[in-house]
Parts: sequence; structure tokens; C-alpha cells
Amino acid sequence: MPDQPLRPFSPPSIPSDLLGQLHLPTGMFSAGAAVTWVLYAVFAIWALYTLVAIYHWLRYSHASLIALPAIAAHLFISFALMSYTLSGHAFFFASYLP
Amino acid sequence: MKEFELEPGEHVVMESRKHWFLFLGELLPYAILLAFPFALPKLLALVPALASHTASFTYQTPLARAVLGVWLLIIWTLAWSAFTRYYLNAWVLTNQRIVDIKQHGYFNREVSSLFLPRVQDVTTDVSGVLPSLLGIGDITVQSAGAVDEFRMRGIPRPEQMRDLILKYVSTEPAKGVGV
Repeated sequence: MPDQPLRPFSPPSIPSDLLGQLHLPTGMFSAGAAVTWVLYAVFAIWALYTLVAIYHWLRYSHASLIALPAIAAHLFISFALMSYTLSGHAFFFASYLP
Repeated sequence: MKEFELEPGEHVVMESRKHWFLFLGELLPYAILLAFPFALPKLLALVPALASHTASFTYQTPLARAVLGVWLLIIWTLAWSAFTRYYLNAWVLTNQRIVDIKQHGYFNREVSSLFLPRVQDVTTDVSGVLPSLLGIGDITVQSAGAVDEFRMRGIPRPEQMRDLILKYVSTEPAKGVGV
């Protein structure tokens, strides 16, 4: 599979914008759509799992000072990884990821 | 903690969780899985028969990058989930009782209370070089007439918890309340 130059990055504003930025190599047994759906499924499962975890944090640790920073850190890092997955831009991870 | 409401005159004395060092140990498998995609090219290079595949794992194509991103996202989410479980498992010592909160998994939570007048025996166990150096140990609280005992493993400074329990056992008047 030939290397392709990275597409110039324009900062996404919302996750739906991120999903719209997926560009995969063409001609790969028309796998682009399949990979897109796999990514949709992974992100949907991530969203469900995250909602359940956040529910537990807020329900059982609502008075803790740790709850909100823990949730914020998870969302921040997860969205950075999603951005990397879809566009190659990893924000603060950029120097650590290929 | 929403599971139990403090009664009038009751206050939280101490809240304890598993020692952070043990939690780091739980994170180790996730760290290895996280590093695996980056170590893979170097590992392949060590095997002459597979060395030609090293270039496949430079993650320069969009598809390879997407696979790497999904992998990192899954591992990160699992590690964060481990932290959630770590944090939601706790012992809360109030001036009237011990509350043992066990988060076995999501939607699987067990909360038990042991009122201090029923405490008969408190045992701490610190064994091993590393636990002794870091102050990691187990604490077991035996209650009167109860088959079950309260046990928490791997907490920091179990002696401090024991001393606090015994202090409040001796000051708390018997109320005749059970587990």
C-alpha cells in the first residue's frame, strides 16, 4: 500500500466534524466504508462505556474533588485520540505519536 | 458517597482506598499494551524472517494511523475504567461505623456497614519487604456474632486505621444496632 501525504489539518469543532474528516486509501477492496463503520461502532461503544463510567462517578462520587477532573481528563485524552484516528492530528500527543 | 447518609452527630473520620502502588501495578498490563504498537517494529527487526515487515508498522498511512488510534483509545478507556473502579472502592470510617463500599463492576456495587459497638477484634497484617517499606497492609475487623468479617486488602498505613477504629470503638457508646 503506497504512502499518502497527510491531509492538511483544520481543527474540528465537534465530533461529527471529526467523523467527516475520515479519508482512507481508495481501492482497498472498497474497504473505506467498512472501516468507517468499524470506527463508528468503536466510537459508539466508547461513548456508551464512557456514559456508564461518568454515571458512576457522578452518582457515587459526586462530593469528591476528583470526579470532575477525572471525567474531564478522560474526555480530553479520548477526543485527542479520536482526532488522531480520524485526521492524524493529536494535539498535545503530536510529539509522541508517529 | 450517596449510599449512606450520615446520621445526626456522625462525621467521617477517615476514607481509605487501596494503596496507589498497588493501583500502579494494576495499570502495568495497560501500559504494556499501550507500548506494544510502538515496540512492534523493533521486535520484528530482531527476527530476521520478519524484519522485512518492519516498514508496515511506521503508522504513516491513514489506515494504519486509524488502527493505532483505535487501539490507543481502547487501552486508554480500559485504564481509565480501572481507575474508576479503584476510586469507587473505599472504606469509610465514621465516628459510629465502618462502611465498606465494593464496586465489583459497573452496576455491581455492594455497601456494608458495621457499627463500631459491634467490633470485637481488629487485625492488621503487613508482610513482605515492599509492603513494609511502603506501609501497605491488610486490615480485618471481626464483629460480634457475625460470620462475615470486614477485610480490606492493600490499604496504606493499616495501623493508623486500626488505631482510629479502636479509638472510636472505645468512645462510642453501644447502641445495639447490627450489621
